[in-house]
Amino acid sequence: MGVIHGDLMTLNIGPQHPSTHGVLRLKVKTDGEIISEVEPIIGYLHRCFEKHCENVTYDQVIPYTDRCDYIASMNNNFGYAVTIEALMEIKVPERVEYIRIIVAELNRIASHLLALGTYGLDVGAFTPFLYMFRDRERILDLFETLCGARLLYNYIWVGGLSHDLPRDFVESVFSFLDYFEPKIEEYNELLTYNKIFIERTADIGVLPPEVAISFGVTGPNLRGSGVKWDIRKDDPYSIYDKFDYDIPIGAGEMGTVGDCWDRYYVRMVEMKESAKIIRQALKGLPAGDVHQALPKKIRPPKGSIYKRTESPRGDLAYYIVSDGSPIPYRLKMRSPAFTALSVLGEISQGWMMSDVIAILGSLDIVLGEIDR
Amino acid sequence: MYKYFNNIFVAISSILKGMSITWRHMINIRKGNVTLQYPEERWPRPERDIGFDLDSYNVIRSRLHVDIDDCIGCLKCERVCPVQCIKIVTTKAETKGEDLPDIGHTGITSNGTKKALIVSRFDIDMSECCYCNLCVYPCPEECIYMTGGPNSHKHPIDYEFSQYDRNDLIYKFAKDVDDEKISKYVSKKIK
Ligand code: SF4
Ligand code: SF4
Repeated sequence: MGVIHGDLMTLNIGPQHPSTHGVLRLKVKTDGEIISEVEPIIGYLHRCFEKHCENVTYDQVIPYTDRCDYIASMNNNFGYAVTIEALMEIKVPERVEYIRIIVAELNRIASHLLALGTYGLDVGAFTPFLYMFRDRERILDLFETLCGARLLYNYIWVGGLSHDLPRDFVESVFSFLDYFEPKIEEYNELLTYNKIFIERTADIGVLPPEVAISFGVTGPNLRGSGVKWDIRKDDPYSIYDKFDYDIPIGAGEMGTVGDCWDRYYVRMVEMKESAKIIRQALKGLPAGDVHQALPKKIRPPKGSIYKRTESPRGDLAYYIVSDGSPIPYRLKMRSPAFTALSVLGEISQGWMMSDVIAILGSLDIVLGEIDR
Repeated sequence: MYKYFNNIFVAISSILKGMSITWRHMINIRKGNVTLQYPEERWPRPERDIGFDLDSYNVIRSRLHVDIDDCIGCLKCERVCPVQCIKIVTTKAETKGEDLPDIGHTGITSNGTKKALIVSRFDIDMSECCYCNLCVYPCPEECIYMTGGPNSHKHPIDYEFSQYDRNDLIYKFAKDVDDEKISKYVSKKIK
């Protein structure tokens, strides 16, 4: 008996839908319950980030970078600061480098917790979401004592930080890590090795490494496909080469290499590695003045620069053209979530309707960054 | 057949494992570990007077407040704001550093700076503000700040301010006097 093909039905998911993680519209062509085409339609959160940056001075750009990937603002600040510093050839003090890495890795944990928690929610597990949000809350509290804000920090400035660590910050981070590391085992028991979760994610939405590379997918999504590529190791910026940590890659433990479960699990292991980096950085934290290298006026020389950093979602890069004035001539941001979303249409063909949600969740996109 | 039953067994046992974790947490429940009834109860704000090496830094994000008597009208905060939500209008006063009680102008700030400008308009649109704190750092008189926290001796914390009308979110800090009165004290030289 042959397969009977009916007419394709067009179905819209979003723009307001709980599992699109923002305002995203998916135009889905379905054949029964089988997906034959997915077209993501973006732009609902467009705020003219790049154009706007051409009208404000270099230090005023930082609050705007916060609002691109609002889940991991520290990493956005970090990438921007590193780029301008490379253009202006500023050498920042050792203490600043250490503090930057501590906050960036803390924010990576917070971002992964949100990604994993909402992923559980997408595939129908409610409890882990609450557990992970509870722990993310503790990181946000740490940031609140650090700079007053919970999500949009404006903390890492070009040439330094807005201010030094508060008293007892190091101890509170240590006690957070002591609390947090055993919790990863708990998440594993609760969600990672849950049979229903594995059935929903293993072997689903396999992203082969060649496809990932040709689409420019980076970060945990690429590593989930078994490619060991991490800017922190392969093109080290700041002082990431001083620390000892591993880059987890997907091994197809529950199914095929590059399936949803692998992408999920890479993030889980990455949190452990981030905790490792934070511990080393806290132990080596030198004394110093965080304002020492702050430039009086940010006026980079004529020229352009492209610099990439590893945000929780992958290769976050800034391209900046300077004409010697205090205002950027052109600023382009390479957003890792954008490339991750572009691969969705490719890998969700032939899967069921409910699998598209699982695949989308496993790509961990942030629409604020895609639309900018 | 074996695989079928094995799958069922694994599914049930992993569910039970998850359930046991939730039960363990439920038994260990403590006070303060549960949902807060928000408007009546609140999370304690993180301790603010933790002290930095540079005490003048203010790390709280809440409503902005300006001690207008201290403001010298230097426009530094207006220039640094990335969204241009601070609007200041100043005029040059005839006399420098003198009190003008008629229009509620103080001549000398609490830091001892003599004021040369009359601030006739100082509006902050809090609906546009992105709480980036950039305006707080450059102020030479430390008179623009976010309320509460390290500044609670100056102004109590205010982070839940809602209004029915958007225009009510524009906070006006300048003394409410009409332009005619001010014009009496404006320096004639610049005209
Ligand atoms: S906090 Fe930022 S956005 Fe708000 S008034 Fe100050 S500079 Fe402007
Ligand atoms: S920076 Fe301070 S003194 Fe200057 S205009 Fe603003 S509030 Fe007034």
